[in-house]
Amino acid sequence: MNATAKQSVETAVSRALGAVGLHWTADVNGNSFGWVKLCAPESLLSIAPALAQCGARLMTVTAYRNDKFGRMEMEGHEIAYHFDLEGLVVTVSVCLPDNPPRVPSITPWFKNADWNEREFAELYGIVLEDHPNPRRLFLDPSLDAAILDRLVPLSTMMNGASTTTLWEKVFAGKQLPEWAKGGNS
Amino acid sequence: MSTTTYTLPIGPLHVALEEPMYFDIQVEGETVRSVELAAGHVHRGMEALAMQRNYFQNVTLTERVCSLCSNSHPATYCMAVENLSGLLVPERAKYLRVIADEVKRIASHLFNVGIMAHLTGFDSLFMHAMEIREIMQDAKEGVYGNRMNLGQCIIGGCRRDIDEATAPFLLGQLELLKPQLDELYGVFERDPLIRTRTQGIGLLPFEEAKRHAVVGPVARASGVAYDVRRKAPYAVYADLDFETQSDTKGDVHSRALLRLREAVQSVKIIEQCLRQIPSGPINVREVPVIPAGEAVARSEAPRGEVFYYVRSDGTDTPQRLKWRVPTYMNWEALQVMLANCQVADIALIVNSIDPCISCTER
Repeated sequence: MNATAKQSVETAVSRALGAVGLHWTADVNGNSFGWVKLCAPESLLSIAPALAQCGARLMTVTAYRNDKFGRMEMEGHEIAYHFDLEGLVVTVSVCLPDNPPRVPSITPWFKNADWNEREFAELYGIVLEDHPNPRRLFLDPSLDAAILDRLVPLSTMMNGASTTTLWEKVFAGKQLPEWAKGGNS
Repeated sequence: MSTTTYTLPIGPLHVALEEPMYFDIQVEGETVRSVELAAGHVHRGMEALAMQRNYFQNVTLTERVCSLCSNSHPATYCMAVENLSGLLVPERAKYLRVIADEVKRIASHLFNVGIMAHLTGFDSLFMHAMEIREIMQDAKEGVYGNRMNLGQCIIGGCRRDIDEATAPFLLGQLELLKPQLDELYGVFERDPLIRTRTQGIGLLPFEEAKRHAVVGPVARASGVAYDVRRKAPYAVYADLDFETQSDTKGDVHSRALLRLREAVQSVKIIEQCLRQIPSGPINVREVPVIPAGEAVARSEAPRGEVFYYVRSDGTDTPQRLKWRVPTYMNWEALQVMLANCQVADIALIVNSIDPCISCTER
């Protein structure tokens, strides 16, 4: 199954990038997954039109840090673009070597890249080049950029949310113990 | 701004929206000229939470992404983890997963068409659709113990079996449902009020459906006959007999009818599953080793394709877990569907994509 689609993807990728490593895996149901790894963000400008031409659909885009919470001092981000062609999933991963990380927009070929790109831009502080509408998508402009680049432990978030108000109610009319007097640390 | 148009703000909290979304609509007289969306009111940072929880805790977390497709999320997440770890799910568990998904699909589709009846002002039909849906709610409660979150999927299989007590009960509920579903289809298809209010509005032509990469019933009603269950079969869908529903009209009415036809197909699928299900274990009863690497999985949720990507650095929590729900692209296509519509039809058109906002924003 999917032989024609597989052939189109192989042709498109090799035409755009030459002999790069496109490799295939499969699941137990015989569905194929193609994987491409790019080392320069500019290569997207070759592969995106080639995939669009063979009729691929952009499913979504995932950005991630190589070291998820920045604790191991591994630098760098990558972005995985997930495409579908007639049931075939092709994931194109791109390294972002620059600081701050930057990547060209693929909205000229894939209209629905608009929201996906704005989302990873606000979550990871990735700079979008030539995006038609590069404003915040979900996060309010008052929130810090690149929030997913940092580890915000749940305990920190909860401390922020439960102020001394709770203990003031618990100890109403009594002396508030020293430990309940606040400070989120 | 021209002097002939004015701004009509809808949302973020509005009676016609079940969840918050802000629409900035430019109106000329009674006609919509442009639509701007502002999202983010229910952004919960779930993907950040998922990176702090281990692979097993994330089954529970993903079930809480969305209530109406709450089985599709953990099922697809588990598939992605199983793809990554090479874990083989027992055959019986695959059938159980399909049954849970299709039960949820029927309930979800009936909810959506019910709300559509309500928005046309046909409240007795709304109540009737919700009452029919109650048959499936009872089925869920009887079989799984819950009306919304079934808690059925775990990594490596399922949690709860369907045995000699619950299987006949589920079949009995389907027998109750079938004639009522047929009757409901007839009303939605022929009722003059429903037809007048929903035919020819919210049009999404085939080319626009392709351009916006919409999925699910919204895509299929516009002639994009893409159903993950057929295009990239998972679980046991390859062995089941059912038809992908599609239409070419691409209006509000055709989307509703398509959902009802899919519910009929789902009944057929569950009956086949209950007939064909082999005996055997329902999960692997082992803790899989999750190696460093990446994997994806997809399924057809009631609203369309759900996509999961998991990336592991070899620890017990994912390096990255990303999911994308059907509503994500379908929202943007609303700009096409709402163009030049009447103000009174806005809510009907928005409802016709079966929007799920907390799903979209995560």
